[in-house]
Amino acid sequence: MSQPTRLRIAGGTVYDPANGVDGAVRDVCIEGDRIVADLPQGAPRLDARGMVVMPGGVDIHAHVAGSSVNHARRLLPEEHAADPVPAPRLEDGAPARSGTGGTLPSTFATGYRYAGLGYTTVMEAAVAPLAARHAHAELDDTPIIDAGFYVLLGNDDYLLDQLARGEGARARDYAAWLVGAARAYAIKIVNPGGIALWKGSGEAGRRNVTGLDDALGSSTVTPRKILEALAGAANALALPHPVHIHCNNLGQPGNAATTLESMKALGGQRAHFTHLQFHSYGGERGKAWQSAAREVIEYVNAHPETSVDVGQVMFGPATTVTADGPVEHLLYTSTGRKWVNVDIELESGCGIVPYAYKERAAVAALQWAVGLELFLLAKDPWRVVLSTDHPNGGTFLSYPELIRLLMDRAYRDERLKGVNHKLLAESALLDGLAREYTLGEIAIVTRAGPARLLGLTSKGHLGPGADADVTIYANDADRARMFATPRYVLKAGTLVVEEGQLRRAPAGRRLAVRPEVDAAAAKDVKRFFDRYASVSFENYGAEPVA
Amino acid sequence: MSARDLEHVTCLGCGCACDDITIVVQRGRIAEARSACALGVTWFGDGAVPAEIRVHARTASLEQALTETAGLLAGAKRPLVYLAGDISCETQREAVAIADRLHAAIDSLAATAAVGVLAAQRRGRAGATLGEIRQRADLVVFWGVDPAERYPRFASRYAVEPAGLQTPSGRKSRTVAAVDVGASRGPADADIRVALGAAEEVDALGVMRATVQGRAAEYGGRFGTAIDLARRMTQARYTAIVADGEPGPIPSDRDRAEALVTLAQALNGPTRCALATLRGGGNRSGADAVLTWLTGFPFAVDFARGHPSYRPSAGAAALLAAGEIDAALVVGAAATLPEPVAERLAAVRTAAIGPRASAATFQPVVAIDTGVAGIHEGGLAFRMDDVPLPLRPSLEAPHAALATVRALRERLGA
Repeated sequence: MSQPTRLRIAGGTVYDPANGVDGAVRDVCIEGDRIVADLPQGAPRLDARGMVVMPGGVDIHAHVAGSSVNHARRLLPEEHAADPVPAPRLEDGAPARSGTGGTLPSTFATGYRYAGLGYTTVMEAAVAPLAARHAHAELDDTPIIDAGFYVLLGNDDYLLDQLARGEGARARDYAAWLVGAARAYAIKIVNPGGIALWKGSGEAGRRNVTGLDDALGSSTVTPRKILEALAGAANALALPHPVHIHCNNLGQPGNAATTLESMKALGGQRAHFTHLQFHSYGGERGKAWQSAAREVIEYVNAHPETSVDVGQVMFGPATTVTADGPVEHLLYTSTGRKWVNVDIELESGCGIVPYAYKERAAVAALQWAVGLELFLLAKDPWRVVLSTDHPNGGTFLSYPELIRLLMDRAYRDERLKGVNHKLLAESALLDGLAREYTLGEIAIVTRAGPARLLGLTSKGHLGPGADADVTIYANDADRARMFATPRYVLKAGTLVVEEGQLRRAPAGRRLAVRPEVDAAAAKDVKRFFDRYASVSFENYGAEPVA
Repeated sequence: MSARDLEHVTCLGCGCACDDITIVVQRGRIAEARSACALGVTWFGDGAVPAEIRVHARTASLEQALTETAGLLAGAKRPLVYLAGDISCETQREAVAIADRLHAAIDSLAATAAVGVLAAQRRGRAGATLGEIRQRADLVVFWGVDPAERYPRFASRYAVEPAGLQTPSGRKSRTVAAVDVGASRGPADADIRVALGAAEEVDALGVMRATVQGRAAEYGGRFGTAIDLARRMTQARYTAIVADGEPGPIPSDRDRAEALVTLAQALNGPTRCALATLRGGGNRSGADAVLTWLTGFPFAVDFARGHPSYRPSAGAAALLAAGEIDAALVVGAAATLPEPVAERLAAVRTAAIGPRASAATFQPVVAIDTGVAGIHEGGLAFRMDDVPLPLRPSLEAPHAALATVRALRERLGA
């Protein structure tokens, strides 16, 4: 079948939760790159009878492009050697690219594999503004998927300086300028204030913050103030996605208290809390770990302004890659594995440690259980998105297995038997959580929900005018198999996967926003830049220069 | 300032990639490269480049040259693509696409720093962008290198002279240590000097690491000054160790590279430390980044099996020396090729596309002269610390490298 300008996906069982369609047999019509209400009889048809039709998947949080990801790729030649990706055979011998996989695939392989999984939109979750050009260049080489990124704020010296001076409005203007200059989609905060301390901003020997009200060095700035300023900025600027927060104390026992405090600090304001699993532990620092998933998700359930993605841990290989430098140092010292740290001037950090989650390891089993508890105790799937914080909790290729864990209680219970129970005493999973996600709920947590949270009004649904990003699955009782190999995937109206095979690989689009900017703000940033930065202000950001 | 002054120009003369150069153009030539060091002034020159296209040493059309190149490469059993200097990342990406399509081996100028890259692949890194060293480092240790020679503005732009957030008095806020390793000496104006014989360097690094970790036994007087330096490092707020990643008088040594990484890593925790590895120019760091994102490997990649394989001990020089290669495509400035590669290319049917290709010493079958990235072409380049920078062309050239390599890629169906 050639690239359709018109196509009727006929007779499939459609899950389009944004439009209230929950498993109804109906046609989905495509004209050009859009969904349309109907097509004339005689338009080309794709027989989807007996198959499941959903909007293309939307990944709200993954690490797929940019300087940190590339540092991680460079660190892992052994993974790439073990997972070669020959060039797919595209229709009519169209040029295709080979690559390598592992936990951090090369760029073309990333696009091909996401599309092969039925995902058509992906957000890269952490890009330092200094490296924005790099991230865009990699996304240019990542085919098929529409992609954007979140730009890192909250440890940058200029912002901290403005907050210390009480210049809240200037901080907001700066955020607006930076998002636009980097051609980013949203504001990301990682461990507010903690990375600045890791880099040496505080008094000697202080390498991280421990809670929301730790003062940074001698200034009055605290993680709380950073959160408030940037959440306020994102909302005041009416960015399509609210501020995207990686809380303080990631991975620490007892960190649920910090997480809840962070949520309460922004209570009433829209805010997205990412990889919540890594922030939902009870116990005490340095002592036993336990699950605090129930407490955390109950807060989320009760607060419609709060959204999260889970950051599920999946057993198997992973690579931890984050701007949260102090966390990676801790992981390095506790695992003895190879470790990358890169301090990024005036802005942020980058830490990388390869990792593996094992069923027999008590902490990994706890993390696995905490993630599942969050999913199973969540009341509103629209605000609880499926993610593994790829590749931190596992790679995006493990999403189908995760979907099976959510949809198939018998399978989940069987897997639960095989994991280390040492730290699971407080886990609701042991109480026998019976919930099984429906296909409609899966459609929410993997596409409709994240699209809505991202403010992508033409994504995540199949109503007229929506982007023609559609995934069609054979309805298989083994949900892992079903979601791992969609039969057909359409991206912007192009049939990219046919009969389970990648057949076309068009370029994807870039998703970026450009808030209105106060010229005075940029001028003040330039003053700071000219004084301290090692690149020219005029070369900063990601705008074309010539 | 005349209308033909161009500001904020990035120089690729060395890996410092200084982006504060003002280029003054008069009568179609670069009259001045303001703010550039001597090396940069030479790199920019007057911007004049040859604009010849030759096939079998005869002047040819671009069409003929591309056809000949495509035929040469498509007919090869074991082609090699080499990413030389002075091309943008955009051009590098096109060349990688060609190598992928041809199932060729591909290598780049980044391979000159292979030892350091391999050490980082085994152990990781403790690093920082150069601007962070400027902001933080109160102790800068130049390990067997004086950057004044090959990286002239390193000291004035990054460390040691400029003031930073935590180094408000610039040079006065810092202690500079020079470790002289054999004949490789650190800066003359260092506050502290340690002298090591080349043969004892790796042992000294090990002892220093042990000192940092608090497990140094008594080593007697032998490494006394190195141990003192290690103690100073633990007392510093933020130490930067600066070492040269490019080949020099000290032979590239795997143990040395690894010992530098692990010393820098060990200093994190008790205090902070970053190892800055100096890299050469021509956007070789871009070649490393581009190959890594497209293949998963930073240099010495082989597509022979239809996918990228990593052959760090069988890069371009080794493949050529073994007589494996029967055709080569050099993209970039032929004059930047490492000697072992350039010499062996003379025995191989080669097409060269890049600045001054027609003057290549290895006498390519096809030579297409192009402009120089950063002088005649824009695009993206990477500083030695992986910071991306835009290139601002100040002159026009008859053939753009990017357009030429892209045309070749399309001709090859890649």
